[in-house]
Amino acid sequence: MTLAELAEPVAKRLLALIPVLFGISLLVFVLNAVALGDPARAMLGQRGDPEVIAQIRQDYALDRPLWIQYATWMGRLLRGNLGHSYHQQRPVSEVLGERFPATLRLALAATLIAVTLGLAIGIAAALAPGGALDHVLMGAAVVGISTPVFWLGLMLSLLFAVWLGWLPVSGYGDGSLANLVLPALTLGALHTGTIARMTRSSLLEVIRQDYIQAARAKGLAEVTVIGKHALKNSLIPVVTVIGIGLADLLVGAPLTETVFAWPGLGRMLVAAVGQRDLPVVMGAVLVFAVVYVLGSLLVDLAYLVIDPRIRRE
Amino acid sequence: MSTRGALWLLTFALVLAGPTAAAGQNKGGTLRGAFASDPPTLDPAQATDTTSSAIIRQMFDTLVELDETLKPVPALADRWTVSKDQKIYTFMLRPGVRFHHGRELRASDVKFSFERGAKGKRPWVFEKIVGAKEFLRGQAAEIRGIRVVDDRTVEITLERSFAPFLYLMAYDAASIVPREEAARRGAEFASHPVGTGPFRLGSWRRDDQVVLEAFREHFRGAPYLDRIVFRVIPAEITRFNEYKTGHLDYTDIPTGHCRAVQRDPVLKYEVAIWPILGTQAMRFNVERPPFNDRRIRQAIGHAIEPQAIVGGLLEGCVVAGKGILPPAMPGFNPSMAGPVFDPDHARRLLAEAGFPGGKGLGPLVFSYNTGDLNQRIAEVLQAQLKGIGITLELRRLDWAAHIKLVDEGGAGFFRQGWIADYPDPENFLTVLFHSRNVGAAGNTSRYRNPALDRLLDEADQMAPGPARFKRYQEAEQIVLNDAVISLYHYTSRALIKPYVKGLERSPLSSAPEFLAPLRKVWLDR
Repeated sequence: MTLAELAEPVAKRLLALIPVLFGISLLVFVLNAVALGDPARAMLGQRGDPEVIAQIRQDYALDRPLWIQYATWMGRLLRGNLGHSYHQQRPVSEVLGERFPATLRLALAATLIAVTLGLAIGIAAALAPGGALDHVLMGAAVVGISTPVFWLGLMLSLLFAVWLGWLPVSGYGDGSLANLVLPALTLGALHTGTIARMTRSSLLEVIRQDYIQAARAKGLAEVTVIGKHALKNSLIPVVTVIGIGLADLLVGAPLTETVFAWPGLGRMLVAAVGQRDLPVVMGAVLVFAVVYVLGSLLVDLAYLVIDPRIRRE
Repeated sequence: MSTRGALWLLTFALVLAGPTAAAGQNKGGTLRGAFASDPPTLDPAQATDTTSSAIIRQMFDTLVELDETLKPVPALADRWTVSKDQKIYTFMLRPGVRFHHGRELRASDVKFSFERGAKGKRPWVFEKIVGAKEFLRGQAAEIRGIRVVDDRTVEITLERSFAPFLYLMAYDAASIVPREEAARRGAEFASHPVGTGPFRLGSWRRDDQVVLEAFREHFRGAPYLDRIVFRVIPAEITRFNEYKTGHLDYTDIPTGHCRAVQRDPVLKYEVAIWPILGTQAMRFNVERPPFNDRRIRQAIGHAIEPQAIVGGLLEGCVVAGKGILPPAMPGFNPSMAGPVFDPDHARRLLAEAGFPGGKGLGPLVFSYNTGDLNQRIAEVLQAQLKGIGITLELRRLDWAAHIKLVDEGGAGFFRQGWIADYPDPENFLTVLFHSRNVGAAGNTSRYRNPALDRLLDEADQMAPGPARFKRYQEAEQIVLNDAVISLYHYTSRALIKPYVKGLERSPLSSAPEFLAPLRKVWLDR
């Protein structure tokens, strides 16, 4: 498939993004409007001077009808302006831009861990289905999926940072790898389990196909059968899980970021919701929506690379 | 001795004492602390939270400041006079004070800063000054009660005498900023603050860390520390672990760990617990049935046993509440008595109100904001009130929703603590119970009592002293009988490494933020 042939489906997906973003922005705006709480009051701490509340509401046009507020926001967005944070009084693009690199690093590292470990565990389990190793590995995968992130983070932190002293307890530090290890392991654990289970079941399904039996009957080595013929064909569902997982991690991981004091987007979004900082919430949700759509687009493109049958279709 | 004389004497004594001698106190080093959240702003006019205030206090100075015993002492003003009628304060500025960008402080900066502050988020700090209200309403171009006498003298005239006015002048909202920098930066002053304080902003990585560097040209001389690093660590257990591994020099004690750290062979020597100016309370909206019936409010008061919460949930690390004013507050009366735990009396009151055994009362809703401790307190209250036949429905909301509900009178029975902005009973009783403050301004009980208003108005204007405190105590007793249940008084619970010296534990300073002046801190290692 040539680049020109790819351009059309990609363009279609990008165009489909417009109604998605519009719908999401409207939904978030309406949800915020019906939620109890006033950003002006939330900004003032324990003592809210009524005149100051009124002034803030006027300054941020919060005293205007909802549809005008939404239209104003949308008008700004069309000019490429995400607005100003109520709470931090600076551009939303600046607020999001500061957190994105930390989130990206964490998401990529967690995905790398999850993919490496998940594929290895899934393949090992699929090679001896029903055996002791399979049970142990799949048990571990279920534990990984079901362990609360907050608890796992604390335990890893206690073991490797407090007791052994090998790694920092928390923080972004100077961007060193040491600061990244524990949050990435914590965040990666959940997806490791999912990828391992998906790899195992998908590989098992392929292994039972006739062409695999034929390859074996031809006398091919088991490594070649699995590595060359079975694994590649079993990767489609795994790639879906990886793609969605990466998009999931890119929109932030508030609990992991809280335990490890990681300055990412997830923690920021939770704080912004608590402060009713609507411009930040809207801006963040839009960015997340774009990430999700682009993530699924990349997954679709990966299918084309992996599976020639899809290319032919 | 007149108040004016006493203030002169105090000022004189403190000037004689001078800055603390440096002998034996090490210079240099980095102090490492942590906050639970990122400061939203570093602009004194815009700050409303303790995290922002904790940093602002290191970077800016005020005309006066409060020492560890809460006495006003000279800061940017090296002396001041107060007129006989307590309405005119004249502040004489220290010579040679410089802002971080090098320019010398002038009296006009004080006027500019106060007018700018009045248009900020805490206008109540300046509203007692003549002409402030007109200025705020846009009817005047300046606050005419602030007069620049000369380059080093500012005269402030109050509408009426107000005993705690010097405390307001020590509040971080009254920090002095340089006119040209504030005007040039506009809203960006919040991220590029310039003050006269002993530290200046080094760097600020949002949600990660704020670094302050020593300002060596500070009017008191360079601080002992070279640098302060405040990290942003939201989880209290993570702050605790950072402290244990030696990456923080001080922190707060996590909820539920108070007794454990006091038993720990190492940490027990590093524990510091001291009372602060705050009270955890259960309030009623007295306009809302059935809480408009005083007997119902009193019945609930007599059915609650604060000791179960203080001794159990809070491990005895706070002070059980009897009155509204906390023990560290000037004017505190140890014999103040709110409703005592007496379930039989509570049942009688319920029956008198027409609800024997709670029958016919229906479930009552108790509102509180999210937080593990608040949840557990609410569950204890629910169990205790069941003892007299009252069914409590728990309604948990996040802070923004809770405060809106409470401000607008939507909650009948709710949790709302209070931490004083300055050490004066006015900041508790007048703010929280005067009828002019009904709603968001503080009186969320929506309590209206003309007799109480008169008492508070009189006390607010009286000269400082025992007679004034007595008036507040009378007011406190009226409120206790009528409108509020004081559960416990807050303490600050901290861990401080033994080598950290000079970290004040004032009742206005609470872990993990520590509003204490860190210029006094030095590291003995």
